[in-house]
Amino acid sequence: MSFHWESTVIAIIAFVLLYWLLNKYAFGPLFGVMEKRRQLVNEEIEAAESSRREAEQQLAEQKRALEEARKEAQEIIESARRTSQKQADEIIQAAREEANRLKNEAIREIQNEKNNAIAALRRQVSGLSVQIASKILEKQVDEKAHEQLVDQYLREVGKTS
Amino acid sequence: MHVFPVVQVGGFNLDLSSILAIVVSGLICFVLAKLATRNLSIRNPSKLQNFMEWVVDFVHNTIASTMPLSKVKHFLGLGMTLILFIFVSNLLGLPFGIVTEHHEEFKLFGSTVVSQEYIDEHGGHAHVAWWKSPTADIMVNLGLAVVVFFLIHFLGLKMNRKHYLAHYFKPFPVFFPLNLIEQVARPVTLAVRLYANIYAGELLIATILLLGIPGIPLLAVWQGFSIFVGAVQAFLFTILTMVYISQAIVHEDH
Repeated sequence: MSFHWESTVIAIIAFVLLYWLLNKYAFGPLFGVMEKRRQLVNEEIEAAESSRREAEQQLAEQKRALEEARKEAQEIIESARRTSQKQADEIIQAAREEANRLKNEAIREIQNEKNNAIAALRRQVSGLSVQIASKILEKQVDEKAHEQLVDQYLREVGKTS
Repeated sequence: MHVFPVVQVGGFNLDLSSILAIVVSGLICFVLAKLATRNLSIRNPSKLQNFMEWVVDFVHNTIASTMPLSKVKHFLGLGMTLILFIFVSNLLGLPFGIVTEHHEEFKLFGSTVVSQEYIDEHGGHAHVAWWKSPTADIMVNLGLAVVVFFLIHFLGLKMNRKHYLAHYFKPFPVFFPLNLIEQVARPVTLAVRLYANIYAGELLIATILLLGIPGIPLLAVWQGFSIFVGAVQAFLFTILTMVYISQAIVHEDH
């Protein structure tokens, strides 16, 4: 076994050269690519996370919008019901009033007719009594005539009755 | 039992098998990494890219277990290079060997690789091993350890100077020599641990090969185990480096 320091020197030179070459042409680019991939993965994860967050936010928004719409619809239905109730009440009220009015009018008219009829009857009765009176006065000449007259009337009455 | 082909060039002793192994390991590492990162894609990574990313994740977790997460990315490239290079190096000597047999003096580039005396001493023949794991050579491991050693102290001085310098005198100033020994022992143990594991593995493979055909099942088992050992040693070297760096640069406020 012999020792040659030249081997040591050559080994040192070779190793340093190899280190330099490998780093320049092989490992440098390789480390770069690995670092780039790491960044890519990081970015992808971040993007996925942010899109998930966005989706969640949108879902919540949508839920809120839906809830709002539902509430609004409920309100609209409620108000429509109230309005229709009010209108129905109003219509019934108006009909009732109209009916009352018609009834009152009819009553008044009936009263009027009645009064008119009574007045007309009264007028006729008074006219009749004047006629009777005048006829009596005309025929108050004699007893005979008088009797005749009464009979005549009685007959007339009997005929009419 | 094997001789390594060492040539003298301009006063330097160059171990050709080590140089070959280092160059081949480095090439395999680079080609593998380059293939894995050829068509990089964020969404549709290729199988090889997936594998390389798994290695990156593994190394990242390993480093993160030794120091705060914010500092990990500075050392990810270092950890990847270390674990990849050492793992490939550990496996390099396993699948085959290239051995030449010489019966007379063998010369290469004008310098003697195997001398006649050596051949005479070893029964008229010599085996020269051309192929091995670079990490089965302690001097190569020492190179890696020296890189780590300088890195630790440079980073300690640069990023954490006050506490780095103070820690040599902790818990008492008397401990200064002990701390110095520790600092020296670290790279030495790093290199020796790796060397011993891998060299022992290859030595045993060479020994089993002497058994011939009956040794094949044993060889298969041992090679499988050597892959495991190679992976563990690559991991150990990397994590220990990171622990040392972490100790030098991280100061925890009490």
